[in-house]
Amino acid sequence: MSQEPKRGHFAKEKGEIILREHEYDGIQEYDQKLPNWWLFTFYGAIVWFVVYWVLYYHTGMFKTDHQLVKDEIIAVHALKAAELEKTLATLNDSTLVHEWATKPEVVAAGEATYLANCSACHAADLSATMVAGTVTVPLPGLALNDKVWKFGGKPMDIFKLINDGSPPESTGHNGAKMQAWGQTLSPKQIAEVTAYLIAKLPEDFKDIAPN
Amino acid sequence: MTTSITYDDKSVRRFMIASIFWGIVGMLVGVIIALQLSRWEMNGKFLEALTFGAIKSDGISFLTFGRLRPLHTNAVIFAFVGNMMFAGVYYSTQRLCKCRMASDLLSTIHFWGWQLIIVAAAITLPMGFTRGKEYAELIWPINIAVVLIWVVFSVNFLWTLAKRNEPSLYVALWFYISTIVTVAMLYIVNHLSLPTSFTHSYPIFGGLQDGLVQWWYGHNAVAFFLTTPILGIMYYFLPKAANRPVYSYRLSIVHFWSLVFIYIWAGPHHLLNTDLPRWLQMLGMLFSLMLWAPSWGGMLNGLLTLRGAWDKLRTDPVIKFFAAGVTFYGMATFEGPLLSIRAVNALSHYTDWTIGHVHSGALGWNGFMAAGMFYWLAPRLWKTQLWSKALANMHFWIGTVGILLYVAALWCAGIMQGLMLNQVNEGGTTLKYEFIETLNDIQIFYWLRSIGGTFYLLGFILCAINIWKTARSGVPHDEVVEVTLLERKQKDSMRWGEALLNDPLTHIVLAMAFIILWFFLPPHADKAALVVSALLCVKAISAFKANKEKWTNWHERLIENYLPFTVLVFVAVAIGGAVQIIPSLIVNREKNIEGRLQELYTPLELAGRDLYVSEGCYNCHSQMIRTLVPEVMRYGRAGVPDDYSHLGESLFDHPYQWGSKRTGPDLAREGGPIAKDAAGNPLKYMRVGKRGNDWHFNHFLNPRQTSPGSNMPAYPWLFENKTDVKSLPDKIRAQVAVGVPWPALSKHEITDMVETQAQEIAKSLVDAKVYLPSKPDLKGDELRNQLANTQVVALIAYMQKLGAYREVKPENPGQPRALDPDSQRKTAAAK
Repeated sequence: MSQEPKRGHFAKEKGEIILREHEYDGIQEYDQKLPNWWLFTFYGAIVWFVVYWVLYYHTGMFKTDHQLVKDEIIAVHALKAAELEKTLATLNDSTLVHEWATKPEVVAAGEATYLANCSACHAADLSATMVAGTVTVPLPGLALNDKVWKFGGKPMDIFKLINDGSPPESTGHNGAKMQAWGQTLSPKQIAEVTAYLIAKLPEDFKDIAPN
Repeated sequence: MTTSITYDDKSVRRFMIASIFWGIVGMLVGVIIALQLSRWEMNGKFLEALTFGAIKSDGISFLTFGRLRPLHTNAVIFAFVGNMMFAGVYYSTQRLCKCRMASDLLSTIHFWGWQLIIVAAAITLPMGFTRGKEYAELIWPINIAVVLIWVVFSVNFLWTLAKRNEPSLYVALWFYISTIVTVAMLYIVNHLSLPTSFTHSYPIFGGLQDGLVQWWYGHNAVAFFLTTPILGIMYYFLPKAANRPVYSYRLSIVHFWSLVFIYIWAGPHHLLNTDLPRWLQMLGMLFSLMLWAPSWGGMLNGLLTLRGAWDKLRTDPVIKFFAAGVTFYGMATFEGPLLSIRAVNALSHYTDWTIGHVHSGALGWNGFMAAGMFYWLAPRLWKTQLWSKALANMHFWIGTVGILLYVAALWCAGIMQGLMLNQVNEGGTTLKYEFIETLNDIQIFYWLRSIGGTFYLLGFILCAINIWKTARSGVPHDEVVEVTLLERKQKDSMRWGEALLNDPLTHIVLAMAFIILWFFLPPHADKAALVVSALLCVKAISAFKANKEKWTNWHERLIENYLPFTVLVFVAVAIGGAVQIIPSLIVNREKNIEGRLQELYTPLELAGRDLYVSEGCYNCHSQMIRTLVPEVMRYGRAGVPDDYSHLGESLFDHPYQWGSKRTGPDLAREGGPIAKDAAGNPLKYMRVGKRGNDWHFNHFLNPRQTSPGSNMPAYPWLFENKTDVKSLPDKIRAQVAVGVPWPALSKHEITDMVETQAQEIAKSLVDAKVYLPSKPDLKGDELRNQLANTQVVALIAYMQKLGAYREVKPENPGQPRALDPDSQRKTAAAK
């Protein structure tokens, strides 16, 4: 039958800390009361479980994650559209060439964005090629310094191409299409990249007259 | 009647030596892969410098991060901690049972079998043979060996309990029992797979189901392989070393049962903020919070046992290691619930914070408890003195500094990268940083982490030297003791009815059953279930107050009966998994998918996917856009507001590849639609997504060419090795058997499809004038035919397919479904 610890009983009656009678390979055990703060942590977590579940499922106060993210992304899209509209209002072929591309800080910002995002496919020298050992190998993008502008060579054509990516009807370059950079870059950044290209390729844009 | 017994300490010595040996191997691999994150050259190129140019390669397949990281985790978990645990279990169980291990033969089979498994793992993982699931990478023949050896261990252990000369079971043994039972359950279920060859298989679960099963296993591998056995070891060795009584017996009881019951439920916290059903996320998060107190119960019982022995901290390295180990356990088990809060997890998940968290457990808790135990055991196992206390102290300090450097570095890396990834530009419409910028900015912390890890490894080498010298200074010694033989009726005399149909248990089981009904019942009925459960709790409390003696005695009796105890532990650990996984197996199926359903792979894409798994790409890349705004902004497509990863998009993925860490960006939207040829006509199979085929080609050849600053290894062998087409019919047959709705395809059709798609991709590469460094002279058709057969083309086919889906409608959209709590409850949005 169960061996009620005698030492335990004795201690209990005396109100002392209980040392259990049984030893395991010389290991003894006290039977201290559970620390209250520990118990309250445990009970608190259990109560919070019930409270949180009830709040979420029974009060109708919360939206689902899906609804939340959808709402916020729609709001971001709206903001982005407004931002683009605002930028486009001040932007035209002439301002890009004669205002944006003439400011060194704008061109420098455009260059930084270009090198971070565009040079992997179009190369730092705009040639869309790289040198591997002794051979020159084409990169995935179209060359920008060959005076050929497949989708229009006006500054605003270039801005829109970067913003929207390859047009839907395009078959792509060897099957590859350029992504819509408006997703990752702000209209201002795209205008800066355009200004950088204009500054690097003045010949291509020399016909654009000032306003 | 007394008799003299010789304990089997030979097995203890063997396991201990094996643990130290594999520990050093595992930690060394850890340091190598940590350096690989800072210097891509560590993936093979460094051999060029080491051998003065005799070996020339930009990357060597069996040295890449994707293959070595599984080796590191498996070596540390199963080889280092596994062997350490067996040493501790064999030593303490014999003494707590006052009897020699039941069978020397089983002990020997257990030892050598386990070492063979480790050797097999160390060979197969670098070769790229993997199941593609974390800590469950080993291929199926090794899985079977693991199960067999685990059975040998279990039989040996339980048989020893049956033969014991000690009426009741000490708390350490409770923890060992829970380890044996639970690891068996988890391991078997998570490794259920269908072989396609001797070295390859597909898990029977796919997509969300595979993810749930994986983290039910993965989280509880931490719980029942790295925690419970070490708690058992703590309960034996710590009071021994401190020579103090354990702090509180009733705390042992309460924290043992709550720990083993609650731990199992916490698995879904690895999948928070994904499209995982909300009720599972709630259970994962809330049970993790409830786990805090039971975990700290163990820490308290360890630390408070040291009361009255704190002075030994100054003199005894064993106590130093134990005190620090238990403290790290407390730290890690506080951080765990913290990271399981959905809002915190939104920041921390997929970053290095998680890696730091597991290492404060692995290095601090497991590593230090192991060291303390080794230093305590060695003088006893070789009947001598510890060779050098000073060296052990040195180990302690160098190890502690190593851990702190490591953990602090990864806190910084994880939090900083998480914040940077969420940072938006002025206006809030675009993200501030490219992924690669965030990676480059945390490099300083990666270096600090490598230094911390190296410190820790050095400390462990000191430990090995110390133990070696100690062993050399003594002789192997098997302890002999006089024990009083126990009569049969003094133990294991409880009848099953008495054990199972008893008051505390009936109350608990009923209250628990109603709580589970509260999760699943439709509105109103669920509230009634909650009320019933609450009433049952009140009734239980009053019954307990009325008859404390009876309740206490039941447990006192229970621990004198090892079989009923084992059965109750199994029941306690089985409930959580069953409640979470079984409903998902029933509900999350093709017929219930609303919205996006994954497009099936073509045979070539499947071959590419198998390569993706085999190269361990999932170690650094996720395929899961969480339901968080910055993630959808970063990885989602322009103009698609709900472009997080929907569950249906990975429904047919065996194994699922959501990943757990992003050293590189998410790949869920990497693929795209069928491409068109130059004339504008759609091609047959070739797709093009975010990036062109030539971009991927260049990227696999030299990631830094397309992504300057990348730390991804180069994969030159993909450009040489041929795609394994021959095995595809068998693989497709296995996929059909596990439930992927492939159309009926003959061998001939499969080969044709592979050839057509490979040629389409190879042609696009030749048109793009790609450069194959190993064969620079090949041109035109020759180059195309050469490329079409190579693995890189298969892998590109897979990359371009990622995220492909079609829209579907289920039979009854939006209807409440049984076992789907979310579908039965209305939230604010649905009103």
